[in-house]
Amino acid sequence: MVTADSVKQGIAAGLECEHLEVAGDGEHFQALIVSRLFEGRNRVQRHQLVYQALGDRMREEIHALSMRTVTPQEWQAGG
Amino acid sequence: MSDVQQQIKDQVTQHAVVLYMKGTPQFPQCGFSAMAIQVLQASGVKELFTVNVLENAEIRQGIKQFANWPTIPQLYIGGEFVGGSDIMREMFESGELKKVLEATKQQA
Repeated sequence: MVTADSVKQGIAAGLECEHLEVAGDGEHFQALIVSRLFEGRNRVQRHQLVYQALGDRMREEIHALSMRTVTPQEWQAGG
Repeated sequence: MSDVQQQIKDQVTQHAVVLYMKGTPQFPQCGFSAMAIQVLQASGVKELFTVNVLENAEIRQGIKQFANWPTIPQLYIGGEFVGGSDIMREMFESGELKKVLEATKQQA
């Protein structure tokens, strides 16, 4: 079974994050991802960066990943 | 461009609002697809073209390459990829989805 921790490690390994939280039940995961790399990118591009970090695991292991992708500034503003 | 990529391109350009989903609007077969239908209906979408990827394995794989997006549902408005279920929900909550849909209607 895929654990939330292993999803977290996968994201952290492929994407530089200021803050990262992942929760989940083995199939469905929810993530809060705060990264400077999101600056100047729209929502689609932000999610694509995370999907890219997870690579094949996203297609093979992880059924669903729900995510909130914010920049450090947006995060501080409570966004 | 392969046949399936061309087929997807035709679908998203020939219809103003297209949702690739699991199941149908009446019988969604995944919670995320069900939510996608709900937010579109609540945003007042009139003409929605849906594609049930469970009935077409080629499209189910092809759509992931088309937008470089590994999950379903996927929403397209005016031929442009808008996002998956998280983005649709965020845009619904901010009122943005309704605005985009209304802008599309005016062009038609």
